[in-house]
Amino acid sequence: MSTEVPLLNVQVDGVWMQFPKGTKLIDACNKAGKFIPHYCYHPKLSIPGNCRMCLIEMGMPKMGPDRKPIMAADGHAEIAWIPRAQISCAQDIVEGMGVRTDSPMVQECRKGVMEFLLINHPLDCPICDQAGECRLQEFSVEYGNAESRFLERKVKKPKNVELGPRVTLDAERCVLCSRCIRFMKEVAHDDVLGFVDRGGFSTIACHPDKTLESNYSLNTVDICPVGALTSTDFRFKMRVWFLKETKTIDVSDGLGCNILIGSREDKIFRITPRENNDVNQFWMPDSHRLAYKAIHSENRLTQPTVDSKPVEWSEAIAVALSSLKAAGSLAMVASARLTNEELYLARHLAKALNITLHDVIPRKGQPDGILIPEDRNPNTAGAKLLGLTGETPGTALPELLDAVRKGTIQGIVCLGEDLTECGFSLEDLAKLKALVTTSTHSNATTKAAHVVLPGTVWAEKRGSMINIHGRLQRLNKAVEPIGHAKDDWEILAALLAGAGSNLSLHSIEDVFRALSQDVAQFNGLNLGKIGDLGIQLLPKAEVATPTA
Amino acid sequence: MTIPAALLAQIEEAISHYPVSKRSASLPLLHLWQEHFGFISDEAVSWIATKLELQPINVLELVTFYPMFRRQPAGKTHIRVCRTLSCSMAGSYELRDALAASANIDIKTWNEHMQGHAHGDNSHDHSPKKLTGHAVHNPGHGNPIAVSPDGKFSIEFVECLASCGSAPVAMVNDLFQENIKIADAATLWNTKTSQATRTLTTQPHPREHRLIFKNIDKPGRGNDLETYLSEGGYEALKKALSSKPEDLLEEVKKSGLRGRGGAGFPCGTKWSFIKRGGPKPTYLICNADESEPGTFKDRYIIHQDPHQLIEGMIISCFTVGANLAYLYIRGEFPEGALILEKALAEARAKGLLGKNILGSGFDLELYVHRGAGAYICGEETGLIESLEGKRPYPRIKPPYFPAVLGLYQCPTIVNNVETLCHVKHIVEMGGEAYAKIGRPNNTGTRILCVSGDVQKPGYYEVAVGSITLGELINEVCGGMKPGRSLKGVIPGGSSAKVLRAGEKFKIKDQEVSLEDLPMDFDSLAAAGSMAGSGGVIVMDDTRNMVEILNNINEFYAHESCGQCTPCREGAQWMKKITDRIVAGGGVESDPATLKNVADNIAGKTICAFGEACSWPTQSFLAKFKEEFSAKSLKATPPPMPPEYTRDELIANDVIPAVRAPRGNGHEIMAPAATR
Repeated sequence: MSTEVPLLNVQVDGVWMQFPKGTKLIDACNKAGKFIPHYCYHPKLSIPGNCRMCLIEMGMPKMGPDRKPIMAADGHAEIAWIPRAQISCAQDIVEGMGVRTDSPMVQECRKGVMEFLLINHPLDCPICDQAGECRLQEFSVEYGNAESRFLERKVKKPKNVELGPRVTLDAERCVLCSRCIRFMKEVAHDDVLGFVDRGGFSTIACHPDKTLESNYSLNTVDICPVGALTSTDFRFKMRVWFLKETKTIDVSDGLGCNILIGSREDKIFRITPRENNDVNQFWMPDSHRLAYKAIHSENRLTQPTVDSKPVEWSEAIAVALSSLKAAGSLAMVASARLTNEELYLARHLAKALNITLHDVIPRKGQPDGILIPEDRNPNTAGAKLLGLTGETPGTALPELLDAVRKGTIQGIVCLGEDLTECGFSLEDLAKLKALVTTSTHSNATTKAAHVVLPGTVWAEKRGSMINIHGRLQRLNKAVEPIGHAKDDWEILAALLAGAGSNLSLHSIEDVFRALSQDVAQFNGLNLGKIGDLGIQLLPKAEVATPTA
Repeated sequence: MTIPAALLAQIEEAISHYPVSKRSASLPLLHLWQEHFGFISDEAVSWIATKLELQPINVLELVTFYPMFRRQPAGKTHIRVCRTLSCSMAGSYELRDALAASANIDIKTWNEHMQGHAHGDNSHDHSPKKLTGHAVHNPGHGNPIAVSPDGKFSIEFVECLASCGSAPVAMVNDLFQENIKIADAATLWNTKTSQATRTLTTQPHPREHRLIFKNIDKPGRGNDLETYLSEGGYEALKKALSSKPEDLLEEVKKSGLRGRGGAGFPCGTKWSFIKRGGPKPTYLICNADESEPGTFKDRYIIHQDPHQLIEGMIISCFTVGANLAYLYIRGEFPEGALILEKALAEARAKGLLGKNILGSGFDLELYVHRGAGAYICGEETGLIESLEGKRPYPRIKPPYFPAVLGLYQCPTIVNNVETLCHVKHIVEMGGEAYAKIGRPNNTGTRILCVSGDVQKPGYYEVAVGSITLGELINEVCGGMKPGRSLKGVIPGGSSAKVLRAGEKFKIKDQEVSLEDLPMDFDSLAAAGSMAGSGGVIVMDDTRNMVEILNNINEFYAHESCGQCTPCREGAQWMKKITDRIVAGGGVESDPATLKNVADNIAGKTICAFGEACSWPTQSFLAKFKEEFSAKSLKATPPPMPPEYTRDELIANDVIPAVRAPRGNGHEIMAPAATR
């Protein structure tokens, strides 16, 4: 990025400030602490200027006969104020311009626009899912009218329209800002939405032969400033103000979309993307946000078992270690879905158990050209950096399977994976003298395992991961682990302690401290320093995925 | 579905007119389809989308926007009756009712369903009653066509057909009919001939100075190329092609020509915004979307003297350096479009268009592009969007000034029909000579279109400012009708602010009465109104100003494109308020509310439609206050007419419904697009 962007002088409500050239006036005002209300403007979409909510009073430098600005006593240009209100979203800042964000003219404009937007609106806030995070509500409080002068019939428009499998439209609540139309066209590249009819009857619609079924359709719900587009999944499930919001990251693929988990009393209600211009901008795929449904699924493991019988944790750990020791030669299949902290402990465990043959299971899929990359593991870079796998993950797996079949490997520590995914048959698993696995859900491996140690899912734990671009990002805990399931680092720490390690680990911070002292790239870091937006840990990988 | 080879050939030809973007062919293809099949089916939408490599929603957006496209068949004979101000003053509502009666159409019931109101009185029993006949499918803009039970006849009330001087007017299928007598309504169904090229008068009034309209009203004169050439046509083009474009531009600047579309912007200045020799091509568009109520000048140029316009356009293209130009003609002029097509073919055959025009080395392709019934397409950036095959949503300025980022984001000049015709005369006589006609800063001639309550409504071409409003009404137009007196005048198309008889205006420190107001740009602006598009609507003392404003409000509510908030919501709101006042339900607060709503629109919208729709309300309220207060007396609003509930609308099949997919047993409204 060029550092040579010149700064321009702009007067905001009487105070001269400097902003980089190319800044939109609306953003400049925002930076100056003067928020400009708006509906249609979105920084990542084209600018239609249709909502008229961001009208401000604007002035340009007064020009002398020599076509040069006339300077006032304070050294700044004198401003000629334009008598007509201007929209601030479509205006790039200009040297010497002025803006009034709260003058009587501006207040009048906002009041007028707010009234227009509400005359045909159903005012059904009590049952509207957007209530609590609705721009109409927010701006009504600040700029609206207490009383309605509208004595006429409201326009009737379609309600409960299923635009697609995941998005429901209430056209009467719509303010026709066209954000959803522009998003589908410009970002999702699936131009299915449009306006039908005209004037006061204009309505958002999908062509009847098409549906809004893109894997990015729920982003239209996020950017809808009102309650017109709602998530069919979240609709009528929970008032948004009861939701606890946890900032964390998605683990469905190598990008690690920054997200917010909305939960109440240890139940997740929805996942929405969180702005991070270095990662996912404002967006996230639908498939990833609905991934939370697996957390409370039927086959979730909640209890440690030995030979399928429930046992106490202490017993499970003891049996795990003793059976592994008895088995003789061991191997480890770790996972690129584990956090750095877990991977770090896994490496120590491998060392303690004299394991030299280890790898992770790679996951690949077709990149979608928008956000989803080829790598569907969230922490491949971490697994490489921490030595659980080589340059190409999965290369050791055929050798490992071969060794099991030959009988040279007789015990496996499996960390959060299902071995049948990398070529093991049930017979192969049955041959093992010891199979110890951590897992969140039951699968073929847990069914065959001697010891099953139930771990936690991503929304239940803290830790860090490195995405495909080498960015270190942080997971935060939104909900408590289910049943007797334990945080994976605790399981690994217990196994390590039993195996005779002298690492002193009492919290995830302890693990990270050990990691940061041990691995050069992490030197000087701690979980707090990673922050909500992550930090660039490794040089930006060339595996550039096209992002929106 | 089989598409005949002839239609396919027409479709391919239409697409070839848009070398830059196939999408632009959307409207032409929809027109071709409707002409052949009678209406636009869902299949048609998909077929056209595929043909133009678009998403079906892109085409559906257009079909549902433009009122001239219908999604259900009309009757075998389809009559469009003009609803707008001058025609309604001349009895178009009565005409529609008479037509309906003669075709056995229950227009009253049909109308109520259009409003979405239930039948009957204000009793609590408004149980759903099955609708009879095939009529309405959607309250709103949905389907405005009332079809007779036998399917032979249909009526559509449409907005301005741009022939206000011969009101009331209608179109029988594509055939234009004017000065219709209500008593003759029934015979209209059998119309076989058009009156589109009929001359209105035979002799110009002595006060007139005919330049543009020199060839109008010559009985028996053809509109073909031979006739035009025999009158010395295309001589100005020859002269222009032998000059330098820079010199021509200088002549236009010297002439002081101001745009005749409404804003009165100096033409030479507009043209000089074009930077010649840039990397992008320059386009020129003729705005023949004449649609400001009260204005009907371009109609006569197009129908009776198309070559004058074409010559003006070729000269203008040569001057600004455009090699591709479009003539955007309003959809309501189907006969005009054919006349222009024919004239273009003639010109092409004579080497006046195409490659190397008259051996000058200048190339120009010029095509006709038909609109489909949208006032907003008269706004130049809306027109450009429409020409690009999109909904005609006006663009924000900045940054989309047409001279920089116009058609296909290239420099574009958009000029009115009359303006482009003037260019021909400027080249002919020289800029300085032209500037001597009229008054300083208000040069040339101007076609004034007079409609409403005068003895002789019509078009009168005069030197700008050479005539006062009083002279125009009393001398040229033969005065008010017997026994009537002047009450008010809208001097520049229905969006211009109304002037009241007896008003005094301050112009250059002189007090001037309404009658003494010179009809030029600056004087009318000084009087608080505008010369606009030259449409003068005269109202006499029998007129109820609340009803007049209500008629104007209905026009703007119908024509608002719906893109930006104040106009979309406000135009409709104003219409609803005046509807209620007219119906006798005016409350004390109405005049103040109306004014405030208008104030909240003007100056806050993307395009000038905001002003256009609020100026009438602002001015009528200010000038005829007592009429509004007299009708706004109630302390509380009256009860509203019973309205169908959503369930009733669904039960009545007014709104098609689908079963809720998630099985709560209820029916829900189908997506708007399927209605």
